[in-house]
Amino acid sequence: MQADIKWIDDPETFRINQLPAHSDHYFYKNTDEIDQDSSFVKSLNGPWKFGYSKTPQDRPVNFFQPDFDSRNFDTIKVPSHIELAGYAQIQYINTWYPWEGKIYRRPPYTLNSDKLTPGIFSEAEDNSVGSYLKTFTLPESFKHQRIIVQFQGVEEALYVWLNGHFIGYAEDSFTPSEFDLTPYIQDGENILAARVYKRCTASYLEDQDMFRFSGIFRGVNLIALPDTHIEDLDIRPVVSDDFQSGVLNVSAKTSGKYDKNSTLKLSVTDSDGKTIVEQEQPSAEELSFEPMDFSSINLWSPDSPYLYNLLIKVYGPTKELLEVVPYQFGFRKVELRDDKVIYVNNQRLVINGVNRHEWNAKTGRAITVDDMKSDIKTMLDNNINADRTCHYPDQIPWYYLCDQNGIYLMAENNLESHGTWQKSGAIEPSFNVPGDNPHWLEVVLDRARTNYEMFKNHPSVIFWSLGNESFAGSDIAAMNKFYKEHDDSRLTHYEGVVHTPELKDQISDVESRMYEKPDNIEEYLQNDPKKPFIDCEYMHDMGNSLGGMNSYHQLVEKYPMYQGGFIWDFIDQALLVHDPISDQDVLRYGGDFDERHSDYEFSGDGLMFADRTEKPAMQEVKYYYGLRK
Amino acid sequence: MAYANNQLHVIYGDGTLGLGGDDFHYIFSYERGGLESLVTQGKEWLYRTPTPVFWRATTDNDRGSGFSTKSAQWYAADMFSTCEKISVTVDDKTFDQLPVAPFNNQFSDEEYADVVEIAYTYATNTVPSTPVEIRYTVKASGQIKVTVHFDGNAELQDLPAFGIRFIMPTAATGFDYTGLSGETYPDRLAGATVGTFHVDGLPVTKYLVPQECGMHMNTSALTVTREKTLNNADHITQPFELNFNKADSDFAFSCLPYTPEELESATHIEELPLKRRTVLTIYGAVRGVGGIDSWGTDVEEQYHLPAKNDYDFSFTIDLDK
Repeated sequence: MQADIKWIDDPETFRINQLPAHSDHYFYKNTDEIDQDSSFVKSLNGPWKFGYSKTPQDRPVNFFQPDFDSRNFDTIKVPSHIELAGYAQIQYINTWYPWEGKIYRRPPYTLNSDKLTPGIFSEAEDNSVGSYLKTFTLPESFKHQRIIVQFQGVEEALYVWLNGHFIGYAEDSFTPSEFDLTPYIQDGENILAARVYKRCTASYLEDQDMFRFSGIFRGVNLIALPDTHIEDLDIRPVVSDDFQSGVLNVSAKTSGKYDKNSTLKLSVTDSDGKTIVEQEQPSAEELSFEPMDFSSINLWSPDSPYLYNLLIKVYGPTKELLEVVPYQFGFRKVELRDDKVIYVNNQRLVINGVNRHEWNAKTGRAITVDDMKSDIKTMLDNNINADRTCHYPDQIPWYYLCDQNGIYLMAENNLESHGTWQKSGAIEPSFNVPGDNPHWLEVVLDRARTNYEMFKNHPSVIFWSLGNESFAGSDIAAMNKFYKEHDDSRLTHYEGVVHTPELKDQISDVESRMYEKPDNIEEYLQNDPKKPFIDCEYMHDMGNSLGGMNSYHQLVEKYPMYQGGFIWDFIDQALLVHDPISDQDVLRYGGDFDERHSDYEFSGDGLMFADRTEKPAMQEVKYYYGLRK
Repeated sequence: MAYANNQLHVIYGDGTLGLGGDDFHYIFSYERGGLESLVTQGKEWLYRTPTPVFWRATTDNDRGSGFSTKSAQWYAADMFSTCEKISVTVDDKTFDQLPVAPFNNQFSDEEYADVVEIAYTYATNTVPSTPVEIRYTVKASGQIKVTVHFDGNAELQDLPAFGIRFIMPTAATGFDYTGLSGETYPDRLAGATVGTFHVDGLPVTKYLVPQECGMHMNTSALTVTREKTLNNADHITQPFELNFNKADSDFAFSCLPYTPEELESATHIEELPLKRRTVLTIYGAVRGVGGIDSWGTDVEEQYHLPAKNDYDFSFTIDLDK
């Protein structure tokens, strides 16, 4: 198959040759490697050769061919944003699409059109292109193995080639895209080529309120798969009604030489390392372990994030160890009961939450594990017990850190399309996507599936959020249905259905609103509501604007069906740049890069300044969130 | 100079009223419409006369909810209100006219009193205008009680704040206060702890766009410390202090290197002027900062400052803590 640039114009083409989404488990050669680097993984981070083109027409068409002369290419760091490397213009914009006032554009298959719009992105003047080249030597230990490449986050449309052969295509910017390189990998030197278009039809789905960037902004890994490999792991700890005991169900999917002679040995230890259960299963493409009864369990909660250690060892036909997969899981029960109150472990849920964008003032959304650990510490220090991953899936380590530190997660899909229906505050959905549009259904379902498959084993995830500020329609309802069919251990959340009350029976387990006034929330709660209430965004802490939290706290005290909310948001989005006039490193925000249209300082609305120091208002948050831990 | 019977030495100047005592000397100006000089231990504490304050810098929430636009008259009033009337009372005698030349020819350099009160009445630069009085009551000990009164007028928009501003000639090295921890506002003080706190320098909270910051509510005592003066003959750089204490009730204050108007004009923190002075504002009333959002919803009703209300507050300036 050859790559086709027209894919970026087509909302129905969003993954080509991409491996199916699967659980985010790590795997190692042996138990000694656990908590270190896996010898199955070789990072391709670091300097890559890079050619920047202002438009698709300017791109070096054959750059992926092994004989391409790349001497004129620059060097760029992976991961990073192309904009922060000085190529494309930095832009901050909220609801409007970034081409507002510059290019007239409507999503394909809208406004009664049953056709694509040829060239809408592939011949666009505002679609810069990054052509990346990485030469790597296949590690000795990777020889004769199945080899995949994993791009953990690329904005926005990604084409991949290896040694001149087309490998695959992906869009979803905030989830890993994996491709099988095995047919074309060679011993010794290999040339991996990646082409990244800043915009494609997914731009309509990724209209998040944030700086607009492009490029390979999360890590890239070369991964060797052992002869028998656990592709997917489904861990289902079920808490019994007595909240004392439980049952653990584990199933797996494997690939490779999964003949009957491979064996999977499972063990579970408690946090002291004491073995609770051991089991063995012959390998199969799909397999389930026998349900495991736990007569006495420690529950996972923010107060006590107790995790059990699951370990699966895969042995080959000659009893040689092929891989080990560790996973820490927790028992916790999320219930929406007949009293229309959400309980976790038999206790009413009170969300002392924040919305968190991934952010670093120097590197944008290319953040490190140290940034994440620092954010966890800030949350724990200030009684914040929940995070909504606004408005996309975060890097994988974040979910593990939330498990380990007891932070509830509302795991949100990569979806925000408010520019298609929210016009200067008014609701005007005439070219709304995804809406009810069948041509935009599969792409959003794919995002729901990926989010679910990746993070399904994390006890911290108690809600699946279908995305943010997309006008609810049958496509969002289908996403909700997907989660309901696959997961009875969590609830679904979607605020956007507030605009389409006729869909409320099909979308979202909670009544969720943003920036609702306490009086209006009280009115909702006093009128026999059908669903518990959550503020998915509230308090908007822009600059020095946080006050009056007591009114929300009163609702927590007064109404069990008021279950708290997520402050908007966790950290100011601003960029540290050098100011030649004052000769200081200073923070810059929207409009400071000559970019128009912009929403200026509107993204400076964190409980922390962009340099990760706390705003003065944090002491108020800590106080109120501390009253109902 | 020793003062007879521990009384205030009253100097009936031609354009000012001087009050002296051990280690202090104050000049109340008729021309400048306020307290022009406050010298303790030979150090001047005032750069310009204190004026009534009606503005605190716009927060993002004020901007979003349109509050600053609606209440913009108070911005003008904060900068350009004028002193319309001055009244002087020495012990029990209130002068019918200001004791300036030639009326003051009847006095000598040997005039003494137990207590002197001077009241300045300002007309706010608003339509309609409303009177504001700042009254200084000076005792022989040198203590000044400052009493501030706002005459409510229902025709005016809500106030951002009401207080009095002292601009000091050099930047303070820090301040100590007894009150609430951190930065607090009427709608954001639940999380604070009560105590005595030291703050180094004159920190400006680094909001992305400079705005109102550094408020300390429910304060009972404040000490401002400086080390430098503008006096070319003063070569001593020992720290020196001035104390502000609650009188009838606690006060709020901010101690910053900038006026609200300076904060208002900058789009980034590095655009603010060099820190060269101390702007101490003591507030009797402060509007809240919090909205539900930052682009349309106003601060909760109970944290507004309706102009129809009278506002009164008082505090003392003390030479000793």
